Amino acid sequence: MRMTRKVVLLLILISTLFFAGTSFAGPVFDRVKETGVVNIGLQFNSIPAAFYNAKNQWVGFDVDVAAEVVKHLTPYLGKELQLKKVKVNNKTRISFLTSGRIDISTSNMTHKRERDKSIDFSITYFFDGQKVMVKKGKYAEHKDLVGKRACAMQGTTSEKNLANLFKSLGDTETDKNIVSYQTAADCFLALSQGKVEAWSTDSTILLGYAAKMPGKFEIIGDFISNEPYGMGLPQDDSAWRDAINFALQDMWNDGTYHAVYNKWYGPDTDYYFPLTEQIEMWP
Amino acid sequence: MGSASVKGEGSANCIYLLKQCGVVVGLALIIYLIFSNADMGYDFHWAVIYEKNQTYKEIFGLWLLRGLLLTIKISVISGLFALGLGTIFGIGRLSAFKPFNWLATCYVELFRNTPLLVQMFFWYFAFPLMLPDPWVSFLNTHNFEFAASVIGLSIYTGAYIAEIVRAGIQSVPKGHTEAAVASGLSTVQTLRHVILPQAFRVIIPPLGSEFLNNMKNSSLAMTIGVAELCWQFQQIESFTFKGFEATTAASAIYLALSLSISLVMNSVGRHLKIGPAKKLNLFDIFLSKMVVPVLFLIRILPGAMQYFTQKLRTQTDEEKELSATVSPLQLFLNRVFVFLTMTFKGILLAVIISILVLSVKGLINFNWGVIKDNFLPLLIWIYPAGAETGEFFNGLGGLSISFLMAVISISVSFFIGLAVGIARLSKNPYINTPAVLYIEIIRGNPLILVIFWVYFFSPIITGMDINVFWSATLAFIIFSGAYIAEIVRAGIQAIPPGQTEAAKASGLSGYQTMRHIVLPQALKLMIPAIVGQFITIFKDTSLAYIIGVFELTTVSQTISSRLMIYPFEFYITIGFLYFACCYSMSLVARKLERKYAD
Repeated sequence: MRMTRKVVLLLILISTLFFAGTSFAGPVFDRVKETGVVNIGLQFNSIPAAFYNAKNQWVGFDVDVAAEVVKHLTPYLGKELQLKKVKVNNKTRISFLTSGRIDISTSNMTHKRERDKSIDFSITYFFDGQKVMVKKGKYAEHKDLVGKRACAMQGTTSEKNLANLFKSLGDTETDKNIVSYQTAADCFLALSQGKVEAWSTDSTILLGYAAKMPGKFEIIGDFISNEPYGMGLPQDDSAWRDAINFALQDMWNDGTYHAVYNKWYGPDTDYYFPLTEQIEMWP
Repeated sequence: MGSASVKGEGSANCIYLLKQCGVVVGLALIIYLIFSNADMGYDFHWAVIYEKNQTYKEIFGLWLLRGLLLTIKISVISGLFALGLGTIFGIGRLSAFKPFNWLATCYVELFRNTPLLVQMFFWYFAFPLMLPDPWVSFLNTHNFEFAASVIGLSIYTGAYIAEIVRAGIQSVPKGHTEAAVASGLSTVQTLRHVILPQAFRVIIPPLGSEFLNNMKNSSLAMTIGVAELCWQFQQIESFTFKGFEATTAASAIYLALSLSISLVMNSVGRHLKIGPAKKLNLFDIFLSKMVVPVLFLIRILPGAMQYFTQKLRTQTDEEKELSATVSPLQLFLNRVFVFLTMTFKGILLAVIISILVLSVKGLINFNWGVIKDNFLPLLIWIYPAGAETGEFFNGLGGLSISFLMAVISISVSFFIGLAVGIARLSKNPYINTPAVLYIEIIRGNPLILVIFWVYFFSPIITGMDINVFWSATLAFIIFSGAYIAEIVRAGIQAIPPGQTEAAKASGLSGYQTMRHIVLPQALKLMIPAIVGQFITIFKDTSLAYIIGVFELTTVSQTISSRLMIYPFEFYITIGFLYFACCYSMSLVARKLERKYAD
């Protein structure tokens, strides 16, 4: 009896070790090449990057860019790839990459050194910057907001940048004055209900929400920070990273990038945001 | 001889305890071996908790402590309010004054049958829309996040406490009340001196576990931006991406908090025992010494008041020299009492009428068109159109996904609960200890943490691509398994030991006794509690919103973030949807309870 119990325990121990040992995900490049499927993480509550429109279709700049990247990957992987869209949010986008649930994260993600400890990034594919939005006519510049309450999304770089801005302007109680919500929708609701006086995040997200209620909100002041968006990629897979970078550069060269950009941020859209920079190009 | 047997029992207990500790150490060792030897594809960095981070120049452990303080603050304040609300409405549930009775019933049913998350959002985002503007701007500048979380928690927990108080009062035999009334006590006196002292003995143990739940539920305050413990650990996660370490630290803190609450609860329970069987240990005695000052105050207060009133009475007696049986003061007090009762009833009616007027007004201003246009998505999201884009379950979402998650969770966790519940009753330490560990660790943590655990842990251990739906469902299974295990244990323990003995005596094996005698009866007893657990899980599916599962709460948020201007309509609608499902299930549970009661 005692013997069998020990044997069972030992077997469990060995099998768990074995199980855990085999769990390591293989290089993404090889896997994608073999299966022909790319899992791309996209947000679903971020206008106009990735959201559900009135017909409940998943659309947006990031969604289109993701589709184009997959098309442009064909020459580097030698086959047509199939795109599988996976919903991610601020909380899930990085752990989905580290756990191998997604191969690319195209989700308003700023390239940050702290983040680079856990994942890799592509070259910058979108140049955004953080701004502050308030109700129209209430505040003229950042300084006016000192001592007032402002909000940001939890788990974003804008939260930290906003706190730094307030501190530099002389706010001593940033812990109290900055409220963090879970989603952009919550932030906008809080701003429009007057729960906070300002909302700060990447300017394109602000534009997207401001367009919901035209004439009620305005963006004040300069950029607080540069927010270069990179595509989040799994750590240490340089073949995969090269392929993505080449695909992005090819998109820029053949004009696809500009077409997608104009569709969402061009002068005729609600979210007009002039394209002032160029993506990194390797000759 | 007697002492020898006690000594034998003691050393047997000791050996058992040692064996249990051995199993715990063994399990810890296995887990440690797995983590240190196997390549998990994850780089552990525990120093993130106590080290000064180079990028941010912060020690993240301090953030956790700050969060802990806020969690305690919210739990204590909302616990006190909930106790007040629960006592008032618990008495209201038994009141002969019909409007009070109805109000209390509505309160209890409404708030017990909607998810706390939805209530929290409602109080924070939708409720202020009904208030006048100056109030709203006052609230917005005075930490309304904290207030809303306290309001939400107090009202939610209060509804549960009301039922506990009602059951406690009902447990006092009717004869006692009748005897009290017959010997001339007033209603208040009967409550104060006869019913409540007895009822409290019954109320206190479940009340303690309600406070424990309240503490765990306070983790939901993070969704409206309150920087409590759960919020802080996620903040650390988002700053450093060390989700595993941060989650471990947070759950250790929650576990410690839960354990200390239950230690106190158990000790109070031992104090409450009547009769010679009262066995107090050192901790119990220490604890009772701690509350001596409070008890002293409680003892001294009525005496002081009596002294004061007697002084008044003697004065009036001397002045008027009355020989009547009822003093004028008594008459006056009686009149005041009648007056107070009338005012109370009046205020109550006014409250009920204003609630009704507010709801009718709200419903008239309700934008029904928005709800009508979006009702189908709320139920099934974009099913089956999602098939083209290869979305999960062809784009099924909303209420049906919530329901699906709850059904899968309860069916699987039933079997886990059955196995673990029986294992917990086993006398074998190798079987018993893991069961105890599983139950206590899970029950000591808020559901949000279990969700995060599965979410961080499952990919590390399995390396598989698990959809968030399955990740959340797995968390619900693990969570609810621990609760069902306790239901199973209670069910089995309710079977008279004589039956087991008789079965053994007639030659049945342990397994046969369990299978043919104990379980069939115990399962029958458990059914209402399991339906109750199903309702809880169904409500809890709303929490899957945090990791982005497309269940009802997420769908309503996605739609309302597109439309942006109708939060009130959406929170009311999903609140109603949850309520309709949970309430109808709770009716079923009650029916089953009555059916199996005899």
